[in-house]
Amino acid sequence: MRRGPLLVTFLTGIAVAALFFIPNYKAQAVNSKLLEWTLVVYAFALILGSVSLWNSHARKVKNRSPGWGFSLVTLVSLLVITTLGIWKGVEEKSPVGQIYNTVNSPLASTMFALLAFVIASAAFRAFRARSLEATLLLATAVVMMIGRVSIGEVISHHLPGITEWLLDVPNLAAKRAIAIGVGLGAVSTALKIILGIEQSYLGKS
Amino acid sequence: MTQALDTRWFDPARWNVLIGILFFAAFLAVNIIRARSGSNLYVRPIAGLEALDEAIGRATEMGRSVLYVPGLSDMTEVGTFAAITILYRLAQRVAEMGCDLDVPCYDPVVMTVLDGAVREAYSKAGRPDAFRPGSVHYVSAQQFAYVAAVNGYMLRERPAANIYMGSFYAESLLLAETGALTGAIQIAGTDKVTQLPFFVCACDYTLLGEELFAASAYLGKEPIQLATIIAQDWAKALAAAAVVLALALATAGHTGLTTWLKIG
Repeated sequence: MRRGPLLVTFLTGIAVAALFFIPNYKAQAVNSKLLEWTLVVYAFALILGSVSLWNSHARKVKNRSPGWGFSLVTLVSLLVITTLGIWKGVEEKSPVGQIYNTVNSPLASTMFALLAFVIASAAFRAFRARSLEATLLLATAVVMMIGRVSIGEVISHHLPGITEWLLDVPNLAAKRAIAIGVGLGAVSTALKIILGIEQSYLGKS
Repeated sequence: MTQALDTRWFDPARWNVLIGILFFAAFLAVNIIRARSGSNLYVRPIAGLEALDEAIGRATEMGRSVLYVPGLSDMTEVGTFAAITILYRLAQRVAEMGCDLDVPCYDPVVMTVLDGAVREAYSKAGRPDAFRPGSVHYVSAQQFAYVAAVNGYMLRERPAANIYMGSFYAESLLLAETGALTGAIQIAGTDKVTQLPFFVCACDYTLLGEELFAASAYLGKEPIQLATIIAQDWAKALAAAAVVLALALATAGHTGLTTWLKIG
């Protein structure tokens, strides 16, 4: 039963991997076409996603689950935006475009701005000198923070150089080591999927 | 002026990648043969994966759910495939222990695949009736709308375990820090190197880089799957040897290998 999907995965995987090595314009046109197909699949999946969103929140409203009011707002918003989008279009001057720019974008920016506060609280927890490693982290962080601002150069003219060295040598070495591991892990996973060793994405071990 | 069309059938700048992949495939073949012949394949313990059972057990004892966040990428990212394979193993344990699972999704295609994988995992665990329709659900394809929804869920429902696996971006710390505030046990794994420090700070356990890709094989314990981890380690050893050799040659004034190792 699963031979069909496995065969499709194998052939597509081999073809896309081969296209990485073939710069020929005809081959690259095929590559672009394959990428376009993913958009078509996405469009159909979005319908499933919308149904899932509706069912999930409708269930919460029906059962009066904690926070059901938020679910009601989601359902009303989904209906209103979909109706307005179909009726008036989604251009910048349309109601959907204006709602996007005046409601959605500021809300997203607000969430993003919260990052500054969570960085502070995470740093507070991480920088407690509980062990040798945590103490090293704390010391490095202090040098980095002072060395990256103007006062650092006033304290010692060596500090900016030390921060640059920390970033470019030990930090970059560790980052590249992890990146090489990630690259090899990605190749390993891709080969497992193409060769059918890993089938759990099809619901099979 | 029009650009000439490329009519080449092989890009010579990518010989290095092709040779690397062939080496990897050879390592994989050798280790699969070893696994089939019954050789003992040792894989070092990974603390973050050992803690998964503890996290699910804790959720079961507390009568709370396990929250699984599969990252914010689509099916073109290998990290998403890793997230799918890990969820499949995790869902089996969740089904066996009988606690609730919640999987909010960012991408509708990923949601469809995850839904199928979780259903199958419950069936394989012998508890298809325990699968709750809607446990794998779509949230939003907007990064911060997704974060707001998942954070809201964490604060209202207080899941006992939060598991973040896959590709994450600026939302990683927003999610993990909110999870830490709720007191949940948190396990994360990502292939995005820039997000690893945030998870290390805010989570109890973090899978670093390639550990994310080894997780599914590690949890499954099937010999063929373990063989892929060993092949990965052999390839890493070869990469390290190539880097050391290139460094020594470059120091001696021969930069040929350094140039060749660069991916074009």
